[in-house]
Amino acid sequence: MKPLSYVRAGTAREAIDAFVAAGDGARYIAGGTNLYDLMKLGIERPAHLIDIADLEGADRIDTDGDRLFFGGAALMANVAEDPVVSRDYLVLAESLSKAASQQLRNMATVGGNLLQRTRCPYFRNGVNGTYPCNKREPGSGCAALGGLDRSQAVLGASEACNAVSPGDWPVALMAMDATIELQGRDGTRVIPISELYRPPSQTPHLEFTIGREEIVTGIAVPKTAAGRNSVYLKVRDRESYAFALVSAAVALEMDGDRVGQAHVALGGVATVPWRARAAEAFLRGRTLDREGALAAATAAFADARAGRHNAFKIELGARTLADALITAGSKSQ
Amino acid sequence: MTPSRNADRPRIDAHEKVLGRALYAADQPFPGLLHAMTVPATIAKGQILSIDTAAAVAVPGVVRVFTHGDFAQIRTTPAARGAYGQPGKGYQPMIGPQVRHRGEPVALVVAETLEAAVEGAEAVTVRYAEEPFSAEMDDSLATPEPEPVSQQASGDAEAAFANAAHIVDVEYRHPQQHHNPIELISTTAAFEDGTLRIYEGTQSAAAFAGGLAGMMGMEPQALRGVSPYTGGGFGQKNGVQEQSVLVASAALLLRRPVKLVMPRGQLFHTASYRPHSRHRVRLAADGDGRLLAGIYETVQQNSRYDGFASDHGANPPRLYGYGAWLGRERIVRVDTQTPGHQRAPHEHPASYATECAIDELAGALGMDPVALRLANDTQRDPLTGKPFSSRHLAACLTRGAALFGWDRWTSEPGALVAANGDRIGLGVACGSYKAAMTPSVTTLRLSANGQCRIATSGHEMGQGLRSVIAAELIEVLGVDPGKLDIRIGDTGHAPQHLTAGSWGAGSAAPAARAAALKLREELAQLTGAALTDEPVHAQLARTRRPFLEVSVDTLPLGKDRQAIEQLRRGMPVVTGPEYPDFLAFSWIAHFAEVHVEPSTRRVRVRRVVSVADCGRVMNRRTAESQVRGGVVWGIGAALRETAESDPRFGGVLNNDLAEYVVPVNADIGAIDVDFIDEPDNRLNISGVKGLGEVAMVGAAAAIVNAVHHATGKRIRHLPIRIEDLL
Ligand SMILES: Cc1cc2nc3c(=O)[nH]c(=O)nc-3n(C[C@H](O)[C@H](O)[C@H](O)COP(=O)(O)OP(=O)(O)OC[C@H]3O[C@@H](n4cnc5c(N)ncnc54)[C@H](O)[C@@H]3O)c2cc1C
Repeated sequence: MKPLSYVRAGTAREAIDAFVAAGDGARYIAGGTNLYDLMKLGIERPAHLIDIADLEGADRIDTDGDRLFFGGAALMANVAEDPVVSRDYLVLAESLSKAASQQLRNMATVGGNLLQRTRCPYFRNGVNGTYPCNKREPGSGCAALGGLDRSQAVLGASEACNAVSPGDWPVALMAMDATIELQGRDGTRVIPISELYRPPSQTPHLEFTIGREEIVTGIAVPKTAAGRNSVYLKVRDRESYAFALVSAAVALEMDGDRVGQAHVALGGVATVPWRARAAEAFLRGRTLDREGALAAATAAFADARAGRHNAFKIELGARTLADALITAGSKSQ
Repeated sequence: MTPSRNADRPRIDAHEKVLGRALYAADQPFPGLLHAMTVPATIAKGQILSIDTAAAVAVPGVVRVFTHGDFAQIRTTPAARGAYGQPGKGYQPMIGPQVRHRGEPVALVVAETLEAAVEGAEAVTVRYAEEPFSAEMDDSLATPEPEPVSQQASGDAEAAFANAAHIVDVEYRHPQQHHNPIELISTTAAFEDGTLRIYEGTQSAAAFAGGLAGMMGMEPQALRGVSPYTGGGFGQKNGVQEQSVLVASAALLLRRPVKLVMPRGQLFHTASYRPHSRHRVRLAADGDGRLLAGIYETVQQNSRYDGFASDHGANPPRLYGYGAWLGRERIVRVDTQTPGHQRAPHEHPASYATECAIDELAGALGMDPVALRLANDTQRDPLTGKPFSSRHLAACLTRGAALFGWDRWTSEPGALVAANGDRIGLGVACGSYKAAMTPSVTTLRLSANGQCRIATSGHEMGQGLRSVIAAELIEVLGVDPGKLDIRIGDTGHAPQHLTAGSWGAGSAAPAARAAALKLREELAQLTGAALTDEPVHAQLARTRRPFLEVSVDTLPLGKDRQAIEQLRRGMPVVTGPEYPDFLAFSWIAHFAEVHVEPSTRRVRVRRVVSVADCGRVMNRRTAESQVRGGVVWGIGAALRETAESDPRFGGVLNNDLAEYVVPVNADIGAIDVDFIDEPDNRLNISGVKGLGEVAMVGAAAAIVNAVHHATGKRIRHLPIRIEDLL
């Protein structure tokens, strides 16, 4: 462990100034549940930590207006248990409550969650050049391609990387058309969450589109009645405390007994939080039965490509999404 | 005094542990303590060309960086390492430039703080010449041993199999598993009263005097081993660790106390583990379901350097009255660290394979699998012809079936459906584990004020050994549990045996009982009359003596006094399962109910019922807890655990507790435990057989059989994962 400096910022402005002043070795830290882990693995070696967990007002949860607003430093546990979120936006609440463990959710922030890094075992184990990894060391190769790829992505992979985007919360946010509020050196900006993540292509080490010194100050989700007909279904290697093998975030705007707009996103199967537009298009105007749900789900995986051990994710993903569609649909009755 | 049935009592050290007051090995405070960290090899096999320590030495706080050049004087002796002294070549990292497996320590950084040690370890650079290697028993560079390592035979099994009306011929595969006790493996070497003391949460404090002293060229008496508590061992802490001699040598060379707590990620590459194995099982039966023959052939992975034997064949032939039996075990050597004993080391994989095969045979015969097992119950060992000291396996099966509601079982798989559409599967399997014993040396002192102190052989690793000892003292002497001082796991108090293989209770209970009975006898001589029902210390008080102390050596059946000498020298002396007049085993029957979700095929274990015959139950609470723990291990083995290793690189990829998937609370349904609780008085004066290991034997098979019953699918590898059932 390298010696490092640590400062706790009071406002976003202070944090950004401290970050810029600290130069290359600077990192923001919020709950630290991912960053410390990566530091222990030798993947992150920051020289300066700027703590943004206590920025003024950054833990705000506001559900009063025409949108839900979560400050970047709001805790996963608090957002999951918020009365409005857990009643009217189950997909959001469940994506948080089914992630990690209660202890971790008590520390981890919803902003930090967006920026957590992949669980690809080759990425996590590779310090000292043991396993090649283009994410960790650009150009070194990818050991997961042709290797133990059971947990790897079937959607969105490139020749350089097939690592899964690990978070559950971003998948639910993707389905719900969330926007991300950022503050940087030159002020603030807002981007749709779909623009936060870069597909791996030839540069898998570049994972996010935001500037190094930019802070996620908030996450906004437009209010919609679809939240009441929503579910986050997560299938994993055990019943709790595990990342998704496959997950489906579904919220349905119903038009009588027919689907109006479906909001569908997938996790555990793709290199970025994956919006399943093909499934949404398929569902529009249909009544929901098992057969239709399965057909929509199958459409979501039309472009999937399997490796050596992860083909099951395509079948499992389709069945999981079909189950999620039926569950969400049943709530509207 | 014949032993009576024990009451339910709180664990003797429960308060200390729950309040966090129990000091484990790595918690011991020493002034001037230095911290060590290892540098793991980043190749799977080869030679170290050079080690650059300059940057590490320059880290503020780093005191010294040791490499193989510093430790060449360490001797390897066959008994020094490996599976508690089983003969083998034996090897010790860091005494030469060879790297035998990925993750092997190649340097040891010692510093004033843990942070400096870690930073120093990261700053060491090593150049290697790599060599071709094999990390898996199935790959081309793996080396099969030419001869089987063991064989068992009775009758002509091949002929019986060839002529039988009903047969199964199946191969089951078992993956590599890692123990992962919560307490990491730590070694602290410190000087106290002029001697070197080693603190390790070990199951074998005497291994230091017995093995480590020899490795360091010291007299055994010059080294004291202390294991205050073991925070879970499960066999991973049953001997001298790769790290032990490195830390001890560093302390000697620096003349300061040194502590190393091996990080979990490295433990996957330095500590022992349960190796891969393949099991071909052939069974033959006649039309009534009588077992005519069993042929059981196994292949097990081993390292290139040690003698970790394969012992899968010891139990299956004793479970049922086979007409004829043939067993053969082979070893394949690969470039990994040496595997070792992990809870029910061979009994669990063997029971998995053979008890699933029995289920398949029941299917082939169209028989109820409980009825098939009962039809083949036996009171004699088919291999030796000797009787069992006690065997209530049939009672375990019938009582378990009643508690579980086995009458719901259907011969057709997939026929039971839950209200939510889940498919319900019911499975059964049996297990056995040898009832072993080892000698003990005990000193018992009862004071007139009621204080009672006992020093004896054995280690507390959470299994409840202190509670077992307490039970005998409470029963025989009527002592107050709050006034007990139980000193175990410390060679400074009594010679210590390796506590493993479920011989802890079967050795410590008779030792404590013998000492307590002797104390009563001596007190009766003092008072000149038979003792009354009054607490013994009160009767002692009347003699005006402040205390009475007795010492006893207890020998297991069939051993002579030489065994005590071996115990004093730190050498393992274990008996069982075969004794002069009988064979002794503990027995268990497990029943499992699983629910399988129709769409995603998720398997949930809703309920397990386990009924054990472990002789006399010493403490109902800790005994139930042992069985629940064993069942949880079985659930983990059946549905969760496996080490992931990429044969191109070697090493374990999922080397942390997030990725090495063990069950969590949400994975565990109801576990109902019951005991036959009949003392086995032929085995020892306490009537005790072991429990910790048998608890797990057969549990995985019951679950696998239940998964088949729910789905109709026979999955012949572990763990069964979601993709196997889609
Ligand atoms: C054992 C384990 C299991 C887990 N299981 C799951 C799971 O099942 N599902 C799941 O979704 N997650 C899981 N997680 C991940 C966990 O949810 C994340 O670690 C957590 O959400 C990260 O939040 P944090 O506040 O601790 O971030 P930190 O670790 O503090 O930061 C993570 C990264 O984000 C940056 N950062 C943090 N906040 C901001 C901000 N406001 N603006 C800009 N940059 C920022 C940091 O610089 C850092 O690079 C698991 C984690 C562990 C350790």
